[in-house]
Amino acid sequence: MTDLPMPQSGAMPAPKSSLMVADARTRRRNAAEKRFRLYGAGAIGIAMIALVVLLSSIISGGAGAFRQTYLSIPVALDAETLDPKGNRNLDEMSKVLTLSYGKVLDRAVEAAVASSGIEIAELAEKDIDNLVSKEASAHLRDRVLADPELVGQTVDVNVLVNGRIDGYFKGRVTMESAAADSNTSPQQLMLADALREQGVLVTRFNWDFITNPDASDQRPEAAGVGVAILGSFYMMLVVLLLAVPIGVAASIYLEEFAPKNRWTDVIEVNISNLAAVPSIVFGILGLAAFINFAGLPQSAPIVGGLVLTLMTLPTIIISTRAALKAVPPSIRDAALGVGASKMQSVFHHVLPLAMPGILTGTIIGLAQALGETAPLLLIGMVAFVREFPAAPPEGLFDPASALPVQVYNWTQRADPAFIERASGAIIVLLIFLFCMNLLAIFLRRRFERRW
Amino acid sequence: MYDINRAESAVTQQDIKISAKDVQVYYGDKHAIKDVNVEILDKTVTAFIGPSGCGKSTFLRCINRMNDTIPIARIEGKIALDGEDIYDRRVDPVQLRAKVGMVFQKPNPFPKSIYDNVAYGPRIHGLSRNKAELDEIVEKSLRGAALWNEVKDRLNEPGTGLSGGQQQRLCIARAVATAPEVLLMDEPCSALDPIATGQVEELIDQLRSEYSVVIVTHSMQQAARVSQKTAFFHLGNLVEYGETDDIFTKPQDSRTEAYISGRIG
Repeated sequence: MTDLPMPQSGAMPAPKSSLMVADARTRRRNAAEKRFRLYGAGAIGIAMIALVVLLSSIISGGAGAFRQTYLSIPVALDAETLDPKGNRNLDEMSKVLTLSYGKVLDRAVEAAVASSGIEIAELAEKDIDNLVSKEASAHLRDRVLADPELVGQTVDVNVLVNGRIDGYFKGRVTMESAAADSNTSPQQLMLADALREQGVLVTRFNWDFITNPDASDQRPEAAGVGVAILGSFYMMLVVLLLAVPIGVAASIYLEEFAPKNRWTDVIEVNISNLAAVPSIVFGILGLAAFINFAGLPQSAPIVGGLVLTLMTLPTIIISTRAALKAVPPSIRDAALGVGASKMQSVFHHVLPLAMPGILTGTIIGLAQALGETAPLLLIGMVAFVREFPAAPPEGLFDPASALPVQVYNWTQRADPAFIERASGAIIVLLIFLFCMNLLAIFLRRRFERRW
Repeated sequence: MYDINRAESAVTQQDIKISAKDVQVYYGDKHAIKDVNVEILDKTVTAFIGPSGCGKSTFLRCINRMNDTIPIARIEGKIALDGEDIYDRRVDPVQLRAKVGMVFQKPNPFPKSIYDNVAYGPRIHGLSRNKAELDEIVEKSLRGAALWNEVKDRLNEPGTGLSGGQQQRLCIARAVATAPEVLLMDEPCSALDPIATGQVEELIDQLRSEYSVVIVTHSMQQAARVSQKTAFFHLGNLVEYGETDDIFTKPQDSRTEAYISGRIG
């Protein structure tokens, strides 16, 4: 203390800095902090804008898939055409092809147009017949075969209209584009407008999009994600049943029981590496191991599920280990201290505390698997599948599609109507992912405990 | 120092509960405990004192084999409980720890109800045949830990919701509930305020009538207050071991004297 220079008595004390004025250093630090806050807010802003743009473009593009135009007309189910022998025998009736139902439908549409009294110049017969979707006659056939007694009666049906007319009401098709289109014509669109005014053509919510299977290139209006939802669901089932128990058990062993030596180090590094392997590599592995070597069927949810299991395992193991590591060691000591065995301490105390973390990691892993496309392309899930797979377990071996692959598939098709379907399928996929994340948050809240 | 209310010093019973012979502990290359020989008596409070890092906690953890959970720890020598070598191959550490309970430095109740905290040990060891017996054990243990009156109306509330001192007494109740023969306490009061410390110390003095209590402390006053025997550790060596009164009034070793008079430590 004594060697500090003391102000001489009487002299002015050295000018002290005032607290009222920030010095240069403080100003610089405050400016730096302010800049950093701005960067942060800017980053969040950009992220939010990107999210809004993404969501609005998907929703504006895909909302149309959930509304569909139907033609509701009475159809006279002509017994001579549909049941030539007249005995309502299903085996014989099923020999009548979709083509004949098409003719019945054509007659019904022509009759409906004639009775509506609409007069449009240069309206060709083809324009009238083409009002309904090519899929409509197949639907009618299914309905009749399910209930043969309908033959001979006149029934009211709601049939899908042609994708072009549906597109016209959604703004995708215009009079100008129709003039250049061999599949439609301005006259047909005018007829559609007139029919709509009379209430014969109605646009309503499209449950068929969610329940129908995929449809061919010429019939975008009939395409749905039913098979894809089922296929994705089956794959998630396989992933849930395999990846979760294996992943959690592996992490518990590695984290709590395994000796810490060079081998476990190698395993640890490799698990981290596996998490970073591109997903398409897992697809090639699945193709080689499960299809070529093990001989499992192509396009089957079981193979997709196995591949996604391999892909999800590292994610689940890493997040489970992190959750186990986060449990304070004092809890383990406490359990061991009262004479619990290692296993009792893990299963009675550590695991319940790690549960929220494990569940969150698992659900995020599952969500990742649900949205994965690349490996599924390689094992044949991209195939055109119209048949619904059977109920599990046999259904796991039936061909199926998957939601993200269905999106990819539809974006490859020529008809712009499929773009709308693809966006619609993305919305369905996003709703599923959103629900899974909601479940993760709910479970986390439910299991979270203080310690 | 002089106004401290010393615990009753006369050791009434002289049975040897734990005897350690030439105990060495290594953490990897580090020689943490060197040639420790000590005989701990039954129904006595024995205090381990010494500066930080002197190995007193390490040695304490050897007595119920908690060091087994540290992969790099290696123990040589012999520690016997009632004449049986606890490091014998046939000894299951889980069985040992039921006999040698432990209370840790930081209160670490399970994030469960107060009742479940205490009942956990008896449950896994099968000490009760029915709910009534378990209730009885829980009540007896909580009474033994001088906590019953404070928590009897809220046994189903989480143990983590108690105050620090209550939590530590809950941990003592949990340790007592498994009916141990020895109670090890690793700086049980270091996270507590003076009032809670006083309550726990009083409790330790009561526990002496039933158990052999070994307490690690870095507070010499505490050692003088609660213990009958004191062992002074320094740099991994057991420097001096004897009656608490003797250690504090006429230490034989110059290092002990230096420590208790505050010159090292």
